[in-house]
Amino acid sequence: MSSVLSIGALLVFPGGLSLLVGGLLYEWFDRKLLALLQNRVGPRWFQPFADTLKLLMKEEVVPDGVNRVLFQGLPLIALAGALTAGLYVPLAGLKPAYGFPGDLIVVLYLLSLLTVCLGLAGANTLDRFSLIGATRTLTQVFSYEAPFLLALLGPALAAGSWQIGKIADYAGSHWMIVFQPLGFLVALIGLMGKLEMPPFDAPEAHTEIVAGALTEYSGRGLALFRLGKAVELVIGVTLVSAIYLGGLSNPLWFLGKTLGLLLVMVGLQSLLTRLRIDQTVGMWWRYGTLLVLVQWLVVILVMR
Amino acid sequence: MAETNVTPKRFTIPIGPQHPALKEPGHFQFTVDGEIVTGAYVRLGYAHRGIEKAAEERNWIQNLYLLERVCGICSHVHALAYCLAVEKLANVEAPPRAQAIRVLVAELERIHSHFLWMGVSAHEAGFDTLFMYSWRDRETVMDLLEGLTGNRVNYSANQLGGVKCDVDAAQADSIRKGLEFLEERTHHYLNVISHDTSFLQRTRGIGVMTRAQAEVMGAIGPTARASNVARDLRVEAPYAAYKTFPVKVVLDERGDLEARFEVRIKELFESFRLIREILEALPEGELVARMPRRIPAGEAIMRLEAPRGEVFYYIRSGGGDKPERLKVRTPTICNLTSVVRLAVGHQLADVPMILAGIDPCFSCNDRMVQVTAADNGSEKLMTWEELRKYGIDFYRRQAK
Repeated sequence: MSSVLSIGALLVFPGGLSLLVGGLLYEWFDRKLLALLQNRVGPRWFQPFADTLKLLMKEEVVPDGVNRVLFQGLPLIALAGALTAGLYVPLAGLKPAYGFPGDLIVVLYLLSLLTVCLGLAGANTLDRFSLIGATRTLTQVFSYEAPFLLALLGPALAAGSWQIGKIADYAGSHWMIVFQPLGFLVALIGLMGKLEMPPFDAPEAHTEIVAGALTEYSGRGLALFRLGKAVELVIGVTLVSAIYLGGLSNPLWFLGKTLGLLLVMVGLQSLLTRLRIDQTVGMWWRYGTLLVLVQWLVVILVMR
Repeated sequence: MAETNVTPKRFTIPIGPQHPALKEPGHFQFTVDGEIVTGAYVRLGYAHRGIEKAAEERNWIQNLYLLERVCGICSHVHALAYCLAVEKLANVEAPPRAQAIRVLVAELERIHSHFLWMGVSAHEAGFDTLFMYSWRDRETVMDLLEGLTGNRVNYSANQLGGVKCDVDAAQADSIRKGLEFLEERTHHYLNVISHDTSFLQRTRGIGVMTRAQAEVMGAIGPTARASNVARDLRVEAPYAAYKTFPVKVVLDERGDLEARFEVRIKELFESFRLIREILEALPEGELVARMPRRIPAGEAIMRLEAPRGEVFYYIRSGGGDKPERLKVRTPTICNLTSVVRLAVGHQLADVPMILAGIDPCFSCNDRMVQVTAADNGSEKLMTWEELRKYGIDFYRRQAK
């Protein structure tokens, strides 16, 4: 019986299917809201599903001069990494399916795996836009990753555990956004950087470098990368809201919180102009890291 | 064309002929060192449409419709330049009311063009919200133009010797109402582009062109005015009704992208004022003066201030019902040199904005281009017959 349940957990909830569907629905919410804020109509709810299906059915063109195995394997690894991360986060406000001390770090690195795969995929092709996109993607990883990680570790310090489930339990009684507002700010903006949302979309700035690292991707590879991004979006907002916005709670309330978080992110997307890559790096190392270190200092001093 | 420091071994980024930043085909090559642009090269001629030649095949009236289609954005100014030049040849002057309406439509067109440009440039910078909003507001002025002339894009307001449309009281009222809305929005946009920190990061101090540079490179239009070069044909050589309704030149001495934004947006206020003045003091009288069917032999030159800068027309008539030669020079060609120069030393991310800063329009400026092979310097000219044969052979080979 328990093996059936574990397979169910892997394939349906909280793994596999629900993550994919949830990811695409969140993506739709993001696109629709952004469209409404920009005075556009926006896509219908099934548009991300239709896009994904269409891409999956199309021919995948493998350009000359690439390592074929890498070209087709990287999207798989990226999506697999993101899906695996889903098993350790409290999706829909429920207890995570699995957990072990230190899984917070593992989840963050599983999510970074996607970005690294993206960078490698870009560097794998000969296309010049891809190469520049890959360079930018990897540069951006090095700028937001450290502050983002530190911002999520702040609550972990306060909770005294690096296990997501335990942090979320602790956060249930302490709203971290109140105790660590700076950390929340950095985590939220770091998440936008991680998802390459505007204004941090320099790696895929289409007026400069077409589609960045993914320029040569079509069909299945592109669909998988996009799915990976969608899953990352769900996991990202879940993680931040579980850690900063009152931990586990009933699914409906939790959904409200994650959507609220997304709303703030969409607002920022519509208000800001794309940052150049040097501006992104400068911002994270000059302000992001500094803010989060100040937050840490406060946490450590208070805990004493 | 213009070329600076092109070393072929470097990493080059091709922009165009097909690229998301360009809505029209042009080709730019930027050699980059990391993210820094070290060299730039431009190649034009992808959208050559043979309009000048086609104009020689059509009679004076047909040409009006042809030339209005030189540019999809400043369509009125082309038709106007043509009309004024032909009227000069025929020694006919359009009645004052017609001239005033011509200016009215030209200024409405300037508003529409500047709003469009603002959106496109904001889009290049990744500020899509401004793009969407400015294009929404642009609909207002397009509706006004449609109400006035019946068309949204190629207004076809001109005819030889006058204009086709009149302005009645109801139309004047709707224009005033539309302008009120647009003026309010323009104040808002001016505030956004001069105060929004994240946007200023992408415009302030980027692509600075000094006054001396602007003069040497022959920059024109708002691009030059943003570098403090007081060059505006509406003031220097007033045509149509600009003598009776004078314009104030908007200048800025900073010469960067921010200045180019500010100059264009402030020009909008001038246009609003001018349109209101014209509506107040529209001269009474005829709309059309009688034109002869055959235009007397001679040559005429007409220079007009299009939204993007100076439009130049040369027409030679042999006394028949068709022009013998017609030459059009559009503003983009004069400003392109500045892009190639200014891009060097900037980040790759700034290049699309610097390019958009001159408000380029490729298919208007493309003329015949003679390509010299880089390896052996050979040039080859083909006659029409040879070209035709080459095409047939080419597809025969493909079919095999």
